[in-house]
Amino acid sequence: MSGWGPIVAAIAGLVGLAFALACEPGEAERPPGTEASARDERLRVFAVAYPLQYFAERIGGDAVDVRFPIPTGIDPAEWSPSAEVVAEYQAADLVLLNGGGYAQWLERASLSRRRLVDTSVGFRKRQLRDSGGVQHAHGPEGEHAHAGVAPMTWLDPELAIAQARAVADALITVRPSAAVHFESGFAALERDLRGLERRFAVAAQELGGAPLFFSHPVYPYFIRAYDLNARSLHWEPQEVPTEAMWAEFRDALAEHPARWMLWEAAPESASKALLERLGVRSHVFDPCARPSESGDYLDRMRRNAEEFESLEVNRPPPSSVE
Amino acid sequence: MVQLCEVEFRYPVGGFALRIPMLEVARGESVAVIGPSGSGKTTLLQLIAGISLPASGTVTTNGTPVNLLDDAARREFRIRNLGLVFQEFELLEYLSVLDNVLLPYRIHPGLTLDSDVRSRALALAECVGVSNKLDRKARKLSQGEKQRAAVCRALIAEPKLLLADEPTGNLDPDNKQRVLDILFEQASDSHSTLIVVTHDRDLLDRFARVIDVKEFHAERVKS
Amino acid sequence: MTDVLFLAWRYLAHYRVKTVILVASIALIVFLPVGLNVLVGQSAEQLTARAEATPLLVGAMGSPLELVLSSLYFESDVPDAIAWAEVEAIEDSGLAQPIPLDARFRARTHPIVGTSLEYFDFRGLRLAEGRRMAVVGECVLGARAAADLAVGAGDTVLSSPESLFDLAGVYPLRMRVVGVFAASHTPDDQVVFVDVKTSWIIQGLGHGHQDLAAAGAAAAVLKQEGDLITANASVVQYNEITPENIDSFHFHGDLSEYPLTGVIAVPHDDKSGVLLMGRFERPEVATQIVRPATVMTELLDTIFTVRAYVVAAIGFAGAGTLATAALVFLLSLRLREREIETIVKIGGSPARVAAILVSEIVVVLVLGAAFAGVLAVLASRYGSEAIRMWITS
Repeated sequence: MSGWGPIVAAIAGLVGLAFALACEPGEAERPPGTEASARDERLRVFAVAYPLQYFAERIGGDAVDVRFPIPTGIDPAEWSPSAEVVAEYQAADLVLLNGGGYAQWLERASLSRRRLVDTSVGFRKRQLRDSGGVQHAHGPEGEHAHAGVAPMTWLDPELAIAQARAVADALITVRPSAAVHFESGFAALERDLRGLERRFAVAAQELGGAPLFFSHPVYPYFIRAYDLNARSLHWEPQEVPTEAMWAEFRDALAEHPARWMLWEAAPESASKALLERLGVRSHVFDPCARPSESGDYLDRMRRNAEEFESLEVNRPPPSSVE
Repeated sequence: MVQLCEVEFRYPVGGFALRIPMLEVARGESVAVIGPSGSGKTTLLQLIAGISLPASGTVTTNGTPVNLLDDAARREFRIRNLGLVFQEFELLEYLSVLDNVLLPYRIHPGLTLDSDVRSRALALAECVGVSNKLDRKARKLSQGEKQRAAVCRALIAEPKLLLADEPTGNLDPDNKQRVLDILFEQASDSHSTLIVVTHDRDLLDRFARVIDVKEFHAERVKS
Repeated sequence: MTDVLFLAWRYLAHYRVKTVILVASIALIVFLPVGLNVLVGQSAEQLTARAEATPLLVGAMGSPLELVLSSLYFESDVPDAIAWAEVEAIEDSGLAQPIPLDARFRARTHPIVGTSLEYFDFRGLRLAEGRRMAVVGECVLGARAAADLAVGAGDTVLSSPESLFDLAGVYPLRMRVVGVFAASHTPDDQVVFVDVKTSWIIQGLGHGHQDLAAAGAAAAVLKQEGDLITANASVVQYNEITPENIDSFHFHGDLSEYPLTGVIAVPHDDKSGVLLMGRFERPEVATQIVRPATVMTELLDTIFTVRAYVVAAIGFAGAGTLATAALVFLLSLRLREREIETIVKIGGSPARVAAILVSEIVVVLVLGAAFAGVLAVLASRYGSEAIRMWITS
């Protein structure tokens, strides 16, 4: 009878072992983070401006997950993300800044300096003062203006390349193992931007200093880059200018006999018609500040180049309408 | 049983001495020692017990020449042969009645405190009427109770010789008789010799013999 | 032996008041130096641990100890300010990671520390609830601060004015609690953490107010010259930053001159640390860089010296106590002469009596020492907690 002892013990041991194994977390019960970490292999990059998002996507390709979480229909200049969205920015591996005070909400947000990449740091001295904003004075500090430097540096392909370079450098610093990948992404982007640069330069040369109007003062870098004889207004494409604005414009036109007005977006047909009557043709030059269904940054800049190239060909005689 | 031969004891002061040419107490005999206060009754008991030593002569108790033993041997002798009831009971105040009764067994390595001893202590306490006070601290007892507890302590080691110094001094007449009864009973039960110092003349007729210490008074010889 | 101990114990148990006093005296006199050593050792350990976890500290020229106490333990007076430019300078040096600290305000008794997110990673603070601050006006609380102020995520905390008679116009700012850290048992538990920019807003260096160009502000506008609008003091200044008014908050002047009370510098390696220290050795530099560990070691050396004197004093007091105890014992022997005599008359040996008396002394000493030992164990187990509470309170 005593010979049964070890056998019973062995069976009991096996049953116990089976139970223990059954209770072990199986494949399906793995904590959710395990699988997610594989996806997190991609660098999480947050941008504060659409062109930076585009640059990072071009440079990083599949290795990065780039976000610019602006809701549709919001002007990036006026966008201020909620604290919850800022918390998402906090969680990013890199936050791409345009620098020069673009995205003023950054001034009020808590972000880890280590993860901030100021893409304009390479051309601080070439930044332009913004003409917008209201100065005010109250209290002992005296006068101060809520205005920084002009944004939209990316409208100058030369500066865009510098910003893209900064993005590439930052990605390489964070993930040196993917340096070759990032460098080839950057090289392709740089080629495209250089192509744009050449087209704008040729077109500007053909323009030969002819006066132009821009509907809004967001183009100073573009104007400076190609030494354009341009003046900026404060007109919104979706609003027909008031009588007073027209009067002001006619005075300006007398001093600055431009034949073209470049708009941020297609203007109201009334505005367009009135301008035509003054011998000024409307063109659209997309500042590419926000994502659009009409194409990515490069598509839209190429369309801008086409529009810009078309100025010379379509030039109507200034006196023909009068 | 007890024999004092040519014993002389000198008090340190006063030029006063006891001189005992010969004193014999037989085994089982009961003796009362009388005399006025300060006449040397206690000294006589202490000479017999070996607590005090004579200047000359021999004290032989139970065949042992007590005054010739060294200190340790005399203590050994006392604890094994004598039961002592002191004039002021000399209980240890912080011990219970039972622990006081058992004290001889706790202060001498040669005596073993076993269950026999304990039951004897209980029987003795029953006998003298303090069995309901065994756990009480000695300082909380009445004079009579202390007296009876002291008697129990003297009897616990079943001594051959019982020396009691005024054991009835502070007792009411009933209790006097009762304590004496116990002493006599114990002495007769174990054929012990009983020597009791007293100045209570009413009790003397219970003793077989009465010794008056005045007989032994002597002017000290000036040397 | 049992009998001897029995009698000794009976005596001690009977005179229990005397015994308790003797045991207590012995226990105290043994425990005091031991406990002092344990507690000083542990507090030194904790102070040192915090200091050693903070490699370098940059602050205004002045007392290094004040700088360390202010920046590590949020105690002591507010040191002179250094400029934000120091943070940028350290960062640009590429030698160390700077972590700004601006600890000058309090929310009731709790320090409000303006810093950056890096601080939390650096100190290894874990969130127990909510999230870290994301925008100005939000705060994250240390565990004790949250408990004391009885707030959690979603509640608000009000900053206290710098002083009661603060006329400079530092208005209290109501801050939204967005997270609470788990207890770290460091001074961080006491802190109300905000972004350094929020600290600047409390100082009045940044503010939010009505849009002066808006119609509602017309009454406050004194004059308008072109783009320059001058307003009077009735302009509504916000004392709480909400999602509705946050966009109106802005900072004036040159950010690089904004004040900090200290900057923790975490060197990328040992060599960088040495190089960074070298940069501050030039006499024209108005800032100092210190190794908190060195500063605390100096402080602790002083504490240890004081401790040595205290232990010596306790030693003398102990000798006095023992002498007194001996006297008490000798006096009690005189009272017990009769009792001793009785024992000897019955047949007990003087050696036996001595053994009983020695046992009494030994029992008292052993009980006293055991009691002191228990106190010392308690001190070492709970003392460090108590010290942490003391340090963090």
